[in-house]
Amino acid sequence: MRKVDLVYTRVRTEEKLLLEALRRRDCAVNLVQDSGMVLSMDRQRLTEADTVLMRSMSFTRARYLATFLEMKGLRVLNSARTISLCGDKALTSAALAARGVPMPWAFVAFDEDACLEAIEKKGYPVVTKPVLGSWGRMVARLDSRTAAEGVLSTRFGTGGAQDHVALVQEYVDKPGYDLRVYVIGRAVGGLRRRSEHWVTNTARGAVPERYEVPVAHAKLAEAAAEAVGGDMVAVDLLETRGGDIYVNEINHCVEFARSIEETGVPLPDLIADYIVSGARR
Amino acid sequence: MQVQNPNPMTQSVPPEQCPLCAQPVPGGNRMVGEVLSCDGCSAELEVVGINPLRLEEAPEVEEDWGE
Ligand SMILES: [Zn+2]
Repeated sequence: MRKVDLVYTRVRTEEKLLLEALRRRDCAVNLVQDSGMVLSMDRQRLTEADTVLMRSMSFTRARYLATFLEMKGLRVLNSARTISLCGDKALTSAALAARGVPMPWAFVAFDEDACLEAIEKKGYPVVTKPVLGSWGRMVARLDSRTAAEGVLSTRFGTGGAQDHVALVQEYVDKPGYDLRVYVIGRAVGGLRRRSEHWVTNTARGAVPERYEVPVAHAKLAEAAAEAVGGDMVAVDLLETRGGDIYVNEINHCVEFARSIEETGVPLPDLIADYIVSGARR
Repeated sequence: MQVQNPNPMTQSVPPEQCPLCAQPVPGGNRMVGEVLSCDGCSAELEVVGINPLRLEEAPEVEEDWGE
């Protein structure tokens, strides 16, 4: 019998379904709320569990908790490395680039003038996004120098050092949808998100629909997962009108409550099977 | 795992009211941190305590939450 600690911030639909799927496989699941955890800096074993399913909603907490739990000898899914890479979009891009995984061209800049100059060289439109953050918040398309100046003065004029990083990305003129492929050890299915708006997040009203993942997309998603060492990730793909396909982002804490019915992919069961299998990327 | 708060295992608790619209929220097996949707006002409610059941409006997205 496998003993699993499920670390969570809130027990949402996802966590309930994961808990049930694990219990159906005779796992002894211990629920641990992230806010109550105190981890000592030693190798003292602190749990009966052999595996930790990291479902903390906070990137900061997930990254630290996974790091310390691994230090204490536990198998954490996803790993601290995967969380660190996926939680920071600049680091995701670097990991993908290191493996030659196709993605939109991108650069990071740390100064308003240097960033503006680099954008001007590339030409408009471009996309900027914060390196940390999610659900499509603060993602901006810059169509002109005026727009770029406005957005960049806000990006570099507010917040702290961590906010003064601009990730600039090629604007991909996608055909009204983007694609998400779930990789649980291997590519297991996907979702097409259709939207009139160019930011296609289901959290921002994009409509999820079923999509049979072609082999080429599955291979690309698996290569992306491998680049970040991800055991269970959601890989967002962008398709150009010309038919090229790029990896855009990788999510380390897979959300599926809003789309599980449309996809027909039994993600909680697949995740639970993967945990029980003892596999590790 | 050693944690400061009591182990939030599933516990059977009596019903409580939505703190926003007073709609009754069924008790039953609840966990600390569980998120419920209120049938009355559709608010997202978070279970912040059990025995007795205590509910609060689930906080909005914080610093770096979520994907
Ligand atoms: Zn209510």
